[in-house]
Amino acid sequence: MADRTEKVAEDIVADSGQDERFAIDRRRFIQASGLLGLSAGIAGVPFEAAWAAGEAAGDTPRKGGTLVMVVQPEPPTLASYNNTSGPIGQVAPKVYDGLLEYDFNLNPLPGLAKSWDVGADGKSVTFKLEEGVRFHDGKPFTSADVQYSIMEVLKKVHPRGPTSFQEVEAVDTPDAHTAIFRLKRPAPYLMKALSAYESPMLPKHLFAGTDLQNNPHANQPVGTGPFKFVEWRRGQLMRFDRNPDYWRKGLPYFDRVVARFIGEAQTRTAALERGEVAFAAYNAVPNVDAKRLSTSREVIVTTKGYEMDAPVVELEFNTTRKPFDNQKVRQAIAYAIDRKFVIDNIWFGYGKPATGPISSNFKGTGMYTADVLRFDVPNRMAIANKLLDEAGYPRKADGTRFEIVHDITPYGEEWRRFGEYVQQVLQELGIKASLRYEDVATWIRRIYTNYDYDLTSDWLKTFADPVIGVQRQYWSKAIRPGTPWVNGTRWTSPRVDELLESAAIEPDVKKRNALYHEFQKLTVEASPIVWVMELEFTTVYNRKLQDAIVSPLAVNTSFDRAWMKA
Amino acid sequence: MLRRLLQAVPTLLVIAVLNFCVIQLAPGDAADVLAGESGGATPEYMTQLRHRFGLDRSKFVQLAVYVKNVLGFDLGYSFRDGMPVRELILQRLGPTLLLMGTTIVFSIVLGVFLGLVAAAHVNTWRDNLLSVLSLLSYATPLFWVGLMLIGVFSLKLGWFPTSGMESVAAFYEGWDRVVDIAHHLVLPALTLSLFYMALYTRLMRAAMLEQWGMDYVTTARAKGLTERRIALRHVLRNAVLPVVTMAGVQIGALLGGSVVVETVFGWPGMGLLAFQSLFARDVNLLLGIFFVSACLVVVVNLLVDLVYFALDPRIEVR
Repeated sequence: MADRTEKVAEDIVADSGQDERFAIDRRRFIQASGLLGLSAGIAGVPFEAAWAAGEAAGDTPRKGGTLVMVVQPEPPTLASYNNTSGPIGQVAPKVYDGLLEYDFNLNPLPGLAKSWDVGADGKSVTFKLEEGVRFHDGKPFTSADVQYSIMEVLKKVHPRGPTSFQEVEAVDTPDAHTAIFRLKRPAPYLMKALSAYESPMLPKHLFAGTDLQNNPHANQPVGTGPFKFVEWRRGQLMRFDRNPDYWRKGLPYFDRVVARFIGEAQTRTAALERGEVAFAAYNAVPNVDAKRLSTSREVIVTTKGYEMDAPVVELEFNTTRKPFDNQKVRQAIAYAIDRKFVIDNIWFGYGKPATGPISSNFKGTGMYTADVLRFDVPNRMAIANKLLDEAGYPRKADGTRFEIVHDITPYGEEWRRFGEYVQQVLQELGIKASLRYEDVATWIRRIYTNYDYDLTSDWLKTFADPVIGVQRQYWSKAIRPGTPWVNGTRWTSPRVDELLESAAIEPDVKKRNALYHEFQKLTVEASPIVWVMELEFTTVYNRKLQDAIVSPLAVNTSFDRAWMKA
Repeated sequence: MLRRLLQAVPTLLVIAVLNFCVIQLAPGDAADVLAGESGGATPEYMTQLRHRFGLDRSKFVQLAVYVKNVLGFDLGYSFRDGMPVRELILQRLGPTLLLMGTTIVFSIVLGVFLGLVAAAHVNTWRDNLLSVLSLLSYATPLFWVGLMLIGVFSLKLGWFPTSGMESVAAFYEGWDRVVDIAHHLVLPALTLSLFYMALYTRLMRAAMLEQWGMDYVTTARAKGLTERRIALRHVLRNAVLPVVTMAGVQIGALLGGSVVVETVFGWPGMGLLAFQSLFARDVNLLLGIFFVSACLVVVVNLLVDLVYFALDPRIEVR
């Protein structure tokens, strides 16, 4: 938290140092005040109020213009209800709305649902829907669309939907503007899964009774959002034009949003520097350039807006075969990795040390605890060596203990550097590691289908709730050969299963947090994974662009309030 | 001519079958990649995907279905993109041919001209300078040349856009659009041309020098023709043959080489599509691209034969 606050504070100082503008703009003001805790409530105010505050500060949004963003890589489809591939989430929410939006503490804000009420027993949620909302084809949006989207689409064909909506038995529609979720058991995580990005609201009249994947509207989406889909020139761009009948009167500000696809990182950076592109999220501009640009006059570099992703960099052990079936060996490696070094030298400072399976992002909700076995102690290398001796792997005459193959997750250059770093650290411990770098499909098959590996690097998003993002890596029922990003270490513990299963349906926040605290202690002790760092993605955007990052889902939201200074 | 065309049919079929077999060697399938990109999926979702892609059928059935479709000019469906392969390729064919065509014309014309100049002034400073330049542009990696051109002409001088095929903030129509696309075409075409131009310069120079020593040149001189007329009328026609041969062979390579240029300049061509579909294990699309590329190579080779015929009447087209 401290370093984030500093970063924002620095930004403000840097800004006010510029002669073009002394006033702190509203977005920064909200970010800073929310983070500094100056006014705890402000992040929770509905956007109209915050907007009014901004206008009072003399920052009147300007209408018109085109927002050109770069999306990397090109999305495979626009069917965000069926495919959660990263780049899809950057464009689809411009067209589709969700029931809810979120503030930076992950608390729900009104979306298509203007209010909601969770039943006393936690087994029903009543949503009051915004009235007078129309889809881009002119048909009204009603509770029937909510029912259809949840029950027939998301719960059935969404990659994470079956988990998010596992307890939803029915969606009742007493009238056109009321939708009541009926749950088998309480599902506290459900309220975190209703954004436009995670659970888009689809037009029933265009999808019902059709083959969802091959429906023509899969790639020509019709939603209720601020921008209408116009065209997709493959390999080139996607174009979205302003929806004049958007239900938030007066919004959006931009006439058009264009998503461009540029394969080469250096070119993306050049396009931003030259102002051809105004917005690039998810490290589309690589960290090495982001670092350089962070002092530039044209663009701003920020790590805000990924709070609902909460990605964690990990080293995963194959806990079913030697030598990593031994807890002491795993712990030894957890001790040996210098998290600070990795962050500073491999990720250019864009990250925070991780302490366990739940990201410190969840501090605000009380779920996170740092009270676990800590590996960042001064004499960690000595402890690591001692643990390896105790585990029955003493150094041989040539100074080595054993040999392994270290697989590298195939997501780019940083991961290779990280692999080389791990190799060096292991060598210090007397473990000879050879590196293996394969392409994505091959690597996924190796780790999550064939389990043919010793130690691999990996990264997982822990999302907005442990049930959605964390549970899958530690639950015994999440050992599912052929399904990527689940329990690939195949480590299990009956107690952890029990904790995860009871936490998933525990409506009481305090009790639920206690269950997750115990879960963190147990898993860190067993170390089936080395939690290295909480990855911070960077967004690079033009200084003239305002109010693009107003949510923990930033680029995965609609940009209805974003505007460009003249 | 007709016979040549008919001969191409079995060739293309063999290529299609070979392509299919080679692709099967890559581990992992499209469902793995899709689920991977999604950051997770349920087993039911995976089974459903595999069934929909036809990946749960045996390889022989898959091959049989593919060959049958190719015979009916049906390139199949790209499940990843949710579009027929034919449409996907057609969208990309235009930009690819534009880039390829410009590059071929530009590099051959310039290569032949520079080769001619170098040969005419052999072992002088002009020849040496051209040799050094062509060696440099031949040996420099394409992506580096591309990035440097962007750095100089887009960032520093601001003459050309960094990337893309047209201005997306404007969406021009009519002639403005043509001009806009031409403006965007300059840097990628130049990057790709430099490499091939260098090659043709060297080739042309060598061929010219070789032809100068031939008996017919002596004969022409004996007839009292000027050196200039001998060079342009007799030697050039003979010397350009190897260049044309080389260009024909390189069409395939040009498709591949443009992957790099397309990536650097965000040019929506077919090379990039092939590259992406390989990593996505989008087998149908990849096979479709291979097939269309094979067809292109066959057609271009036919064209090359026609050019031979025009340049050298001794060669007959049968």
